[in-house]
Amino acid sequence: MTEALALLYPPLLVFAAALLVLVLPRTVGFGLGALSLVAVAVLSLSIPYGTYLETTFLGFEATPFLVDEFTAMLGFVMGFLGAGAVLFAHSSEASKTMAAFALAYVASSLGAAFAGDWLVLVFYWEVMAVTSTLLVWHYGGDAVRAGYRYAIAHGIGGSLVLFAVVWHFAEVGTFTYGEGAAGIAPGIPALLAALGIGVNVAFIGLHTWLPDTYPRPHFAASVFLAAYTTKTSAYVLYRAFPEGNLFLAYMGGLMAVYGVVFALLQHDMRALLSYHIQAQLGYMVAGIGIGTAIAVSGAMGHLFNNVLYKSLLFMAIGVVIYRTGENDLYELGGLWREMPITATAYAIGAFSIVALPGFNGFISKGMVFDAANPTYYGSSEYLALYWLLMIGAIGTFLSFIKLGYYTFLHGESSISVPDANPGQSAAMLAVAAACIVFGVWWQGLVELLPFGPEVIGEGQVAPYSIGHLTDALTLLVVSVVGFALVRKPLSGLGDIPDMEVVLNPATFTLGRGTMFAVTDLYRAVDALAVSLVTSCYWVGNNPVLAVRRVGRRLPNWLVDTQRLGPTAERRPDGGAAVGERKPSTLRLRASIGTTVLLITVVLTVILWLLL
Amino acid sequence: MSSPTALELLPALLVIVPILGATLPLALGLRYDDVGWACATAVCGIVFALALPVTNAVYGVGERVQVIHNLGGFDQPVGIALVADELSTIVVLLIAAVSLATLAYTRHGGPRGNTFYSGYLLLVGGLMGISLTGDVFNLFVFLEITGIATYGLIAKSDGAEAAVAALKYLIIGTVGASLYLVGVGFVFLATGTLNMIDLATAIPEAGYDDPLVRMAFAFMFVGFAIKVAQWPLHTWQPDAYQHAPDGVTPMIAALVSTVSAYALARVIFGVYTVEFVATTPYLQEIVVTVGSVSVVAGSLLAVIQVDVKRMLAFSSVSQFGLIVAAYGLLTETALVGALVHLVGHGIMKAGLFVCAGIVAAGYGARKVDEYAGLFAHRPAVASATAVLGIALIGIPPSVGFIGKWYIAVGSVEAELWPVAAVIFLSTMLTLGYVARLLEKMFFTHATGAPASHAVATDGGEGVLVGTLDEADPVSLGMIGLAVGAAVLAVALGFAGGTFNELFDPFVSEVFS
Repeated sequence: MTEALALLYPPLLVFAAALLVLVLPRTVGFGLGALSLVAVAVLSLSIPYGTYLETTFLGFEATPFLVDEFTAMLGFVMGFLGAGAVLFAHSSEASKTMAAFALAYVASSLGAAFAGDWLVLVFYWEVMAVTSTLLVWHYGGDAVRAGYRYAIAHGIGGSLVLFAVVWHFAEVGTFTYGEGAAGIAPGIPALLAALGIGVNVAFIGLHTWLPDTYPRPHFAASVFLAAYTTKTSAYVLYRAFPEGNLFLAYMGGLMAVYGVVFALLQHDMRALLSYHIQAQLGYMVAGIGIGTAIAVSGAMGHLFNNVLYKSLLFMAIGVVIYRTGENDLYELGGLWREMPITATAYAIGAFSIVALPGFNGFISKGMVFDAANPTYYGSSEYLALYWLLMIGAIGTFLSFIKLGYYTFLHGESSISVPDANPGQSAAMLAVAAACIVFGVWWQGLVELLPFGPEVIGEGQVAPYSIGHLTDALTLLVVSVVGFALVRKPLSGLGDIPDMEVVLNPATFTLGRGTMFAVTDLYRAVDALAVSLVTSCYWVGNNPVLAVRRVGRRLPNWLVDTQRLGPTAERRPDGGAAVGERKPSTLRLRASIGTTVLLITVVLTVILWLLL
Repeated sequence: MSSPTALELLPALLVIVPILGATLPLALGLRYDDVGWACATAVCGIVFALALPVTNAVYGVGERVQVIHNLGGFDQPVGIALVADELSTIVVLLIAAVSLATLAYTRHGGPRGNTFYSGYLLLVGGLMGISLTGDVFNLFVFLEITGIATYGLIAKSDGAEAAVAALKYLIIGTVGASLYLVGVGFVFLATGTLNMIDLATAIPEAGYDDPLVRMAFAFMFVGFAIKVAQWPLHTWQPDAYQHAPDGVTPMIAALVSTVSAYALARVIFGVYTVEFVATTPYLQEIVVTVGSVSVVAGSLLAVIQVDVKRMLAFSSVSQFGLIVAAYGLLTETALVGALVHLVGHGIMKAGLFVCAGIVAAGYGARKVDEYAGLFAHRPAVASATAVLGIALIGIPPSVGFIGKWYIAVGSVEAELWPVAAVIFLSTMLTLGYVARLLEKMFFTHATGAPASHAVATDGGEGVLVGTLDEADPVSLGMIGLAVGAAVLAVALGFAGGTFNELFDPFVSEVFS
């Protein structure tokens, strides 16, 4: 019975919904979209582990539908959040076209999540880049240029992944995950994959598209964007490096710090949240990089939770933007009186992301900390990583205190606005409830995770131990005190440029430069070839003139000037000399000489071949 | 030292009669003006008459026949032998026939003068010598005699260009003959003999991998490639053909390169063997490549020519490329095809040059564009040109078709697909340059006043209506020659089986 459910291929369900939403009445269409995503969530947990729909794709064996502990968890959370996001979008005046793009984007993301081999993954990876770009573009205005930069970044990243996968196939002879090599083949394929996936998971230096793009489209579109691309990619990073990698781990730590530092500096609310995506991805990358059971389990748990609370935060901030039309947090304040439901939702999301006990972020972030902390399950080489992650955690506290303080607290609201509408409230509260449920009933969360039963069985997960609670309290106190200290200086800071001020012009210049270099080089080669052919033609047609020209340039001691026939040097001898000279035999000599030369060449070639 | 029979005397006479006859126009010219044509006709008539019994003896019995004359009664291998067999006799017959027939043109079309006919007969003698000799060094001697006679005949034309062309031919042709001589020297060093029949057994004894033997072949092959005008060693040939007197061109085009190509076949198949070519690394590829490249390059160059005689000259580069490539295929069918094409091309090209001469004399046209409207003014010549051109393309029934067909089949048998492709391509390209002529002659109206003799009537018609006068540059004999060549080219198109039977004894022995 449950086997038969596997015939319902989740990406196809959602994609069908994406098409239907275009033609059906708005509410029915959105309802169907949400329903398809709920179905995906249910299916993910009810289909037994295994591979389904095995087929051939582009002439290779392909397993497009793999269900295991990873994909089931991903499918569940993506479906659940997706349903909430569709509901939110419906209540946020999103158009049917936008919903169709969003659902297609979710479908491609699900396709990548459920892929059982690299080939299918690459296919969905590229589709995901296209659909997400369309979702950004659809909004128009500023989003178009940002979407263009987004498309360039993902085009490059996608190509790198494609090269990595092709090379991987050349090395191991199969596309299937885990066959031939545990992850992606080591060496250059692994490097390419790290860079390609690194674009999507916002490695430092490859991240500029993220805070550039996510604040610009429709605020409901941001909810989708925040949930899918980066999280799917973090999962794929695990598939590529299942055994961990020290560099990856430290890249994760640095991302956590880098992300929160820049988040703190932002005053566009969604930009702040976007930098936090990078920071939170840092924890996942760090967990994957460490590679132990608890680390991977924690990373995946953090992925799971991040989908929930980060989308919740985008929803809450989205409602604020929806109601006030304001993106800048310094322009707001005191909104908790005006929109208490939204403020509550924000608070739950913020408590989750800063990992207060009782909220889901506390569980998964704690697992990553423990995996890195040498006093728990880490090794000494991760000590510095642990502190990086700690600094990241403090930064997270600071920036969400900042966001919440300026948006919802800080004085009286200068404007009077209604709270979230019922649909938005329902979506937010459903997701918020999930954040609390998985924070309290942490056993349920961990059981759902890959390696979860294993780490629970070994007693490695004990979030509410005295030590962990003390840590959390310490963090909170340090952060509140810290915020009180840095609040003034922070608000005094203007725009702090990120790498994009260098990278964007660099990409532009490099692209332009390459193009010009190629075209100019082509032009130069073309001109050279044409002039060479023209001169050869001319020499062929005017051998006499050619020989004369060469002859004139030779130094006098080398040639007997008398033999060159009529030259300028002889003219001064007198006009009579011109009339008396014999007709030139140069042409005849040249043509006979050429033939004799050819004879010699042919004879030489034949002798060389025969002897 | 047994005295030869009457039949065995004939090969010697075929060489000696024209050479001795070459002195007659000079000697009698001391007493009479304008006696050259008569002398030449008489001598060529005798030569043709002598060739007939040889032909009959060689081909009459249907098995391998070699009519051998040991010069001076010295036996082989010391003495020099003249050999008429299935390979040489057809060339002998071609020489005898073409040299006699061309006189029908020169009678009225020139060149004139006793010295010209001396050179003419000397050329015939040289060609006969190349065809009949059984000695590789003697072959060089006759190559030189032929060459010198040819240089002289080309220079007979008016204008400095002919002299330049002759000089160029003299230098390059001599280089070619010298290379051949170097090759002869090497082979003599390797084997100690010069007799062809003897060499066929002596070379395998010396070993096919003997560097001397291989080097000798390389020199001889390049020497002949010059003489046969294979691209890119052809440069003497277009100038020579274009600037030679119109009466001489048919003779040169039909015979001189043909006989060189025959001599190449004699060296490849008679002196060296099929086995040598087949077993020596790269050798077959070299021969086939040289031929194929010439086919393509010659045709392409022909297509872009403006002057008709020059175009036909490049056409010869291409057609001889086909023959050389056919040698390299090393199959019986291809060799038969090469020999058929050797003869067929001689007839067709002679006819085409006769036509070109007639058109130049009677219509004043030398360039392709000037052939516009030729059919309206000179239907007989235009038709003959058309038929010969179509035969050259290889459209059946024609002798051109038989030759190309056998070569094509041979290339398929040898499974050398590039050569098969080249043959197909050459047909297309031949069509390219022939079609230009056809289109001009039949479908383009003459624009502007054609040069000098535009109003002259067609030769045949002129005789009938009695308007022939001293000024008419085209005689009935010239027209008849052109039409005869066209008829022959088509008639031989039905003789494919006959050709196969004629050459079979020789070809089967070569490939046995």
